[in-house]
Amino acid sequence: MKKGLVLVCACFVLSCAALPALRPLDRPPVCPAPFLTEKTRLIHAIEAGAAGKTRAVLIGIALADPAARKLSAAVLTPEGVALLEASYGPSGAAVSRALPPFDSGELACRMMEDMALIFFAPAGEPVSRGASAEGETVCRWRAQSKGWVDVLQGQDGRIRIRRYSEGGRLEREIALSGDAQNPYAAIELQASERVDYSLKMTLLEAEEVKSAPQAGREDRGDKP
Amino acid sequence: MGRTGIKILLLILLVVLPWGVRADDFAQLRREAARITTISADFVQKKTMKILARPLVSEGKFYYAAPSSIRWEYTRPLRSVVVSDRGKTRRYIASGGKMIEDLSGGVQAMKIVLDEVAGWMSGRFDANPSFAASLSEGPDTQITLTPTGQNMAGMIERIEITVSRRDAAIKTVRIVESRTAETRIDFQHVVINKDIHPSVFREVQ
Repeated sequence: MKKGLVLVCACFVLSCAALPALRPLDRPPVCPAPFLTEKTRLIHAIEAGAAGKTRAVLIGIALADPAARKLSAAVLTPEGVALLEASYGPSGAAVSRALPPFDSGELACRMMEDMALIFFAPAGEPVSRGASAEGETVCRWRAQSKGWVDVLQGQDGRIRIRRYSEGGRLEREIALSGDAQNPYAAIELQASERVDYSLKMTLLEAEEVKSAPQAGREDRGDKP
Repeated sequence: MGRTGIKILLLILLVVLPWGVRADDFAQLRREAARITTISADFVQKKTMKILARPLVSEGKFYYAAPSSIRWEYTRPLRSVVVSDRGKTRRYIASGGKMIEDLSGGVQAMKIVLDEVAGWMSGRFDANPSFAASLSEGPDTQITLTPTGQNMAGMIERIEITVSRRDAAIKTVRIVESRTAETRIDFQHVVINKDIHPSVFREVQ
């Protein structure tokens, strides 16, 4: 009986989650645009956490092509062991190598979707623009699969990206702490799932990619 | 050079070079390595992957004391330390400016790796039945380890270890994961048989 009551209450709480209302502004705001515009390779140090504790420190490599909306990514241990190699495109995510904890496939796909949310501008035009209750300017898009994506900018210039479910439950919150020149210098992602997790990403290296990668051509050097 | 030329060259190499594995080759390596009680070295690791235009370079320090104590410390681009001493392996990661113990399952995988490395340091290259070991002599001794089972399929194609003929110390480890991915570790500034304080293998700050 108690379990049933808890379940009913949980359903009630979830059904009450609502997409935050946007306050209309006299002049619709210019939408924040931190997203990649050129094909770029980014290497980040990643602190992955759950339940408020750091669980793993990893190296994340992303090769993102915003024009094609395609993304290749690899996640390495500090020792250089590739735990995940995967790609993401309009048809979804494809995993080519996955070791624990990515071997279930579900976490790998979520990780790729997270990277796409961080690096690619939402597709199409915003469906609404306005201000949040905290006074941030907000542009709201329909997410490609389902749900909503808000891109917010505060008075201090800091940008946040939020993804909501169709019913308005907050699923992802991403804070970009870099400057306008390099918005991906520091990224914090908070995921609200069955098991919540967080990613704290610090940029080690970024470069625009003009041509196809040629493995082993020369050393990266010692200045990350 | 045509295909026939390459075949002839390969045939000459097979005849001239001592590619065949002899039991006493590994026994000799074990005898030479038995003289090593400690090793300390810097290392440079180059990770090559299809997604990278150039290898990702990591650096660190390596310490070994016979029979099986190891400290494997990366200093850049991320700091992480694995210490293994008296059968106990711990891994530390940098978080919030300090080193914290990694309590995830990853440490068990590192224990397997470090036990293998400790075996190599004492010359036991052919002790693990998961790998077939072959040995070739050149300016240095090269040992090639090839997985014998399917459990490493898609993960490791082979491991090549280059050992100095002068002092039996390992110079290079090359882990070939696939046609487009490999990890190469070059050991530099190698110091052999100089005392290393036991705390190096137990304490991480």
